[in-house]
Amino acid sequence: MDLPFYIAVGVSNGTLYALMALGLVLLYKTQNFVPFVNGEFFTAGAFAAFSVYNIFAMPYWAALCVAVLCGAAIGYLCERAVIRPLANSHHLSLVMVTVGASIFLQGLARMKWGDDIYTLPPIAADFTVRFAGVPIAAQNLIIVAAAIVLVGALFLFFTYTTMGKQVRAVSQNLIGAQLIGINPNTVYRTTWIISGVLGAVAGMLAAPLTLLYPNMGSEVLIKGFAAAILGGLTSIPGALIGGLAIGISEMLIAGYISTVFIKISAFIIIMIVLLIKPEGIFGSKAAGRV
Amino acid sequence: MNRTLTTFSTIVLVLIAVAVLGDAYTQYVVNLVITFAVISIGLNIVLGFSGLLSFAHSAFVGVGAYATAIMMSSLGMPYLFALPAAGLFTAFIGVLVGLPAVRVKGLYLALVTIACLYFFEWTFIHWDPVTNGTDGMVMPDISVFGIPLFDDLQKTYVLFPVAVLMYWVATRLMSSRLGRSFVMVRDAELAAQTCGINIMKARTLAFATSAFYAGVGGGMFAATVSFIDPHSFGLLQMIMLFGMVLIGGISSLVGSLIGAVTLTVLPEFLREFQGAQEVLYGLLMIIFIIYMPNGIAGLLRSKGLIQPTSLGGRKPSVSVPCHKLLGFRFLSTEALYARLRRQK
Repeated sequence: MDLPFYIAVGVSNGTLYALMALGLVLLYKTQNFVPFVNGEFFTAGAFAAFSVYNIFAMPYWAALCVAVLCGAAIGYLCERAVIRPLANSHHLSLVMVTVGASIFLQGLARMKWGDDIYTLPPIAADFTVRFAGVPIAAQNLIIVAAAIVLVGALFLFFTYTTMGKQVRAVSQNLIGAQLIGINPNTVYRTTWIISGVLGAVAGMLAAPLTLLYPNMGSEVLIKGFAAAILGGLTSIPGALIGGLAIGISEMLIAGYISTVFIKISAFIIIMIVLLIKPEGIFGSKAAGRV
Repeated sequence: MNRTLTTFSTIVLVLIAVAVLGDAYTQYVVNLVITFAVISIGLNIVLGFSGLLSFAHSAFVGVGAYATAIMMSSLGMPYLFALPAAGLFTAFIGVLVGLPAVRVKGLYLALVTIACLYFFEWTFIHWDPVTNGTDGMVMPDISVFGIPLFDDLQKTYVLFPVAVLMYWVATRLMSSRLGRSFVMVRDAELAAQTCGINIMKARTLAFATSAFYAGVGGGMFAATVSFIDPHSFGLLQMIMLFGMVLIGGISSLVGSLIGAVTLTVLPEFLREFQGAQEVLYGLLMIIFIIYMPNGIAGLLRSKGLIQPTSLGGRKPSVSVPCHKLLGFRFLSTEALYARLRRQK
C-alpha cells in the first residue's frame, strides 16, 4: 500500500545520488581516480543557496544561479590548485589530496556555520501532486525534473560540442587524444567544473529535505560512490540507473525492514558489488583491475 | 651508530623528559602521541610499504579499543594480557576483511574499506549489548603487576615500553623477508610473482599486520582516554591518521612517529575550534602531498638525519615514493609512441 510512496521518495533521493555519481564517473573516466571532494560541492551548493535566499533575501532563481556558479568556481579551484600539480601522479596521491581538500573545505564551512543545523524552505511549499493515489511533494518532482534537464544538457554537450568530444576522447585514450592535439588540462578543468555544478545543484535541491550542516556532503558522497560502483564506475547510464536503484532500495529497506538499516544499506551494496562483481552492472571488464 | 636510531632516540628522550617534567595534561598529550605513533606505524605498513589504500584502519583501532575494554571488564583480564590479545583479535578481523578485500585493487580497495569503516562505526553504535551504543564505555581501572595505575605519568611508564617495542618489531619486520615482499608487491607486482611471492598472501599479511598495530594502538588509546565512544573511530579520525602518515613521511617508520607528534600536538592549540583544526589538517595534507611527498622524514633524510637505506630494502624501492615510480610526468614524442605501441 505504501509501495508507491516509497518508490516516489526513492526515485527523488536516487536522482540526487545519480547526480553525485555522475560527477564521480566523469572524473573517474578522464583522470582515472575517484575524488573524495565531491561531497563538498554538495555542501557548497546548499550553503550558497541558503546564503542568497535567507541572508540576502533574493528570489529562488538567483539562489540557483549563485549555487551553480559557486559549484563551478570550487570545482575549478580544486582542479587548478590541488589536482593540476599532481595530474600525472599515482592515484594514491590524487585520492589523498582530494581527501585533504575535502577536510579543508569542510573545516571552512564549520568555521563559518558552526555545528548548527539550518533549514531552507522548499521551492514550492504548499503544492503536492497526487500520483497513483499518493501525495508527492513538489520538491521531489522538481528534483527529478531538474536532474532530467541537467542530464539532457550534458548529453547534448558530450554529443555535439567540440569540448564535449574532447572530453570523450581523453576518457577513451589519453595518449591518442594528446597526439591529435587535445590539451588534457583543459579537459580536466571542464570535467571538474561540470562535476562541481552537478554536486552544487544536487546540494541545493536536497537542502530543503536534508537540512544544512557542514558535513552534510559526506553521507551523500558515499551514496554517490555506491551508485557509481553499482553502475560500474565507467558508465554514465550505469551511474544514473545505479543512483535510482540505491535510492529506491534504501527506501524499501527502511519501509519494510527497519529504518536502522537505512544508513548502512549503501555500504553493504558497495561491499557486495565490489567483492562479487567489481566491474558493476554496466562497467567494462577491465574496470576491476585498476 | 645508526643515524636513524639517533634521531629516533632523541625524539623518544624528549618525549619522556616532557612527560616527566610536565603537568598531567602534558602527560596525557604524550600518551596520545605514542598511541597515535603505534597506530600510524600500522597504517604506514599498509599504506606506505604495501601501497594499499585502506580506509578501515580507524575502524580497526575501534575494534582494538572495544576488545581491550571488554576483555578487561567481562573476562577480568589484566591490561598487559588484554593488550596483545586485542591486537591478535583485531589482526584476525583484519584477515577477515582483508581476505576478500585485497582481491580488488587500488581505488576499489579504497571504496570497499571506506564502506567497512562506516559499517564498523554503525556496528559500534547499534550493537548495544556489547558496545553500550552511543553512551560509550568506561575503561576499567588498570593495574600492572598488581600495581594500580592512577595518574597519566604512570600510564606513560607502561605505554612507552609497549610503543618502543612495537616500533622495534616494525623495523625488524620491514627489513625481513616478509616486509621486503610487501614493498616488492607494491612496486613490481609481476616481478614479485616471478620471484615466487604469493601476492594475495603478502597483501593479506600486510593487512593483518597493520590491523595488529591498530588493535594494540586501540588498547593504548582506551587506556589513555579512559572512555571510548563510537565517534572516536570515524572518517575524521581516519583522515587524521592519513595526515600523520603523509606529513611524517610515507614508507618511513620514524616518519610515523614524527607525524604523530606533529598532528597530535599542533591541534591541541586549536582544541576549541574543530573547524580550524580541520582546515589545518586539510591544508597540511595538500601542501605536503604536492610539495613534500616524502614528508618530514624526506626532509630529514636529505639533511642526513635519517639513513636512506635504514629500512633494509633496496635503496630506490623504499626511498622513492610510489607515485614517482609509477607516474610519468613529461613524455617525449618517442615515449608517447612507445606507450601507444604497448597499449595495442
